[in-house]
Amino acid sequence: MTLDRRTFLGTTGLAAAAAVLGEGAWRPARADKPVNFSGWVFKPDTVKDYVDFYNRKHGGQVKYDAVPWATYHPTMETRALSGEIVDVMYCNSANRERWFDNGFIRALDDLPGMDELKKKMAPGNLESAKSRDGSKVVGLPYFTSLFILMYNEPMLQQAGIKAPARTWDELVEHCTKLKRDKVSDTPYLPNWNNSGSGTMPQFLSDSFSEGASVFDAKNHVVADQEPGVARAMERWQKVYRDGLVNPEVLTKTSSTDTHRLFWSGRYAYHTNHSYYLKTIAGEPENSKLAPKKAKMAMYPGNGQTHMFTEWYTINAKTKVLDDGWKFAKFLGGNLNGDWYVQRQWCLIAGLDNAYPEMYDHPEIIQSYDRWVDLKLLREQYKKGKTINAFKEPWFSEWDSKAIAIVHNIIRGTTTVPKGLKELAALQKSLA
Amino acid sequence: MKTRRALSESAVAWLFVAPALLAIGLVVAFPLVYSLWLSFTDVNLLRATGPAVELGALRIPLFRWIGTRNYTQVLADPLYWDSLWRTLYFVGAFVAEATVVGFAMALVLNERFPGRPLLRSLLLVPWSLSRIVVGLLWVGILDFEFGALNGLLLRAGLVDSAIAFFKEGWSALNVLVSVYMWNQAPFATLLFLAGMQSISDDLYAAAEVDGAGYWRRLWYVTLPALRPIVFLVLVLATVNGFLMLDLIYVLTMGGPGYDTTTISWHGFKTSFTFFKFGPGTAILYTLTALCLLMTVVYHRLVLARFEPEG
Repeated sequence: MTLDRRTFLGTTGLAAAAAVLGEGAWRPARADKPVNFSGWVFKPDTVKDYVDFYNRKHGGQVKYDAVPWATYHPTMETRALSGEIVDVMYCNSANRERWFDNGFIRALDDLPGMDELKKKMAPGNLESAKSRDGSKVVGLPYFTSLFILMYNEPMLQQAGIKAPARTWDELVEHCTKLKRDKVSDTPYLPNWNNSGSGTMPQFLSDSFSEGASVFDAKNHVVADQEPGVARAMERWQKVYRDGLVNPEVLTKTSSTDTHRLFWSGRYAYHTNHSYYLKTIAGEPENSKLAPKKAKMAMYPGNGQTHMFTEWYTINAKTKVLDDGWKFAKFLGGNLNGDWYVQRQWCLIAGLDNAYPEMYDHPEIIQSYDRWVDLKLLREQYKKGKTINAFKEPWFSEWDSKAIAIVHNIIRGTTTVPKGLKELAALQKSLA
Repeated sequence: MKTRRALSESAVAWLFVAPALLAIGLVVAFPLVYSLWLSFTDVNLLRATGPAVELGALRIPLFRWIGTRNYTQVLADPLYWDSLWRTLYFVGAFVAEATVVGFAMALVLNERFPGRPLLRSLLLVPWSLSRIVVGLLWVGILDFEFGALNGLLLRAGLVDSAIAFFKEGWSALNVLVSVYMWNQAPFATLLFLAGMQSISDDLYAAAEVDGAGYWRRLWYVTLPALRPIVFLVLVLATVNGFLMLDLIYVLTMGGPGYDTTTISWHGFKTSFTFFKFGPGTAILYTLTALCLLMTVVYHRLVLARFEPEG
């Protein structure tokens, strides 16, 4: 059979048209321009999967890149300085207000669907999502962190302790007994690590559980005037002095490293972000306390702990606002009624979530049942206390420099009153 | 005709050198000058709308000039001085350890014995590892909870309870010195070994004829001949010691308290955690000044009376 030029062109033209039309018919309309998306490194393969899923299902052209955590925020600022526009970005709570104040990210209130998302967010998370003056919502939640108390049930049983501690005095009593009975060398593992997610969230949680405030209504540090904070610090000094805690926890570099120590089954109590219980109690391949040998208990004292949220933000200079917002809703909201990414983070990493309805989803209930008492977790969530001080320009530096002061209190190289005064003075010097 | 040819050769030489010079200018000279400039300005990366140098499409913001305010602010901070004394201790201890251990290993590897080639290859392993890996490796050895060394000591009955190497600032700082020495001494060995192998055997033979024993040969032949290498090792070790950051990041994050915070860590935190790039670069330029000062001192001490052969 011979093929002339006219037949060839006709056939290939038809084939090409069919391919183009077919693509159009089977796939959703593609975005006109790519949406640039950056986040810090946390399960980047999972994020890439979401992005691929979004690009396939929603016709997006999202380009994702992950930046190491340590230099993530300065890198994003440097990229902005060079004129690059990253349309959708992660942002941690300590830097978000500065980004907003400097016009780097935009408010989201005027975007379609934002009002519905506000209604679905838990009040504490919504308050955190707002700018310092409370007038604008400037981020969609990536995940929420809630401090909880975990305990090693087999160890407590072995020591004849029938129920986990309900008060701090009881916790210290249990730990003293466990050490005395040689059940554990260092029964308590507080999250006093040297990173931003360690010592200070633990400091806030323990202060709140004593009914104390660390900041007043104007966000000034008042820890030095609060007897509850002093009580918490005196307890920290005692457990450190008595050798009830791992003495090297002060130089652990992350909450992740710290929580892995609890995998060993050598500790009785551990305080950390709730999602770490997922690996401790839910990953038998890693942890000796899985499945569900480690459990959560209500935080001692009045049960209040610190809660904070990390964010998805939108660049104020984005040239693809519609597509960027659509993608941001996919990440931090419920695009097309589907909480895909929010749900996946719950399922994959056990990250706490700003939208209470997430916890009614059968898939999530089933998944959480493998590592935590979800009902109790929700009770703890209700007692989660957020702060507004993180919106102050001095907060990031204070939060970081305060770690050394609190470590000095713990080690007894400074007294509790003096150390707490230093915390207040530090804030004044930075404000 | 001769002049024209000479000029042409010079032009060709410049042509060959130009790409390298351009690359060095772009990746070394420009960042150096620009960061020095930043140390005298009020930097806010998100507000770069002030004066700028425009190079075609490239806009280099100059930020607001504030004179020496960053330097005075940095030098008035007690944390800077605490970090400086700690840095000087760290650098002094590290340079001494790395030089002595590096030299001792070179002396051993300069002798002939079975397995020498293998040992010479193995020597480079610590040096060739990334410092993040080195840090993690030593966490695995020294950790209070799961460290191999503690396990060994406990099982051998040499200690009653595990040793917390990172509990106190002083011991944590010395762990940093030792781990960094473990990582860097092989490079010093490599340099010393290269220097030793370039020393003529005739010198040793002549010294032996004069009745010099091992230590006298070491003192009067080896060490004087190695002066340029000693200078190089001292300068490199000093600069590396002042700038060391990654091991702190992996092992202590500057803690407990500020007990392992050095100037480089202080500068890093100021720049990249507090976003104070002006004071951050000022802190790090004081390090540069210290490095230059130490180089001059070493030059005076080690190389001043040295005259190369030929």
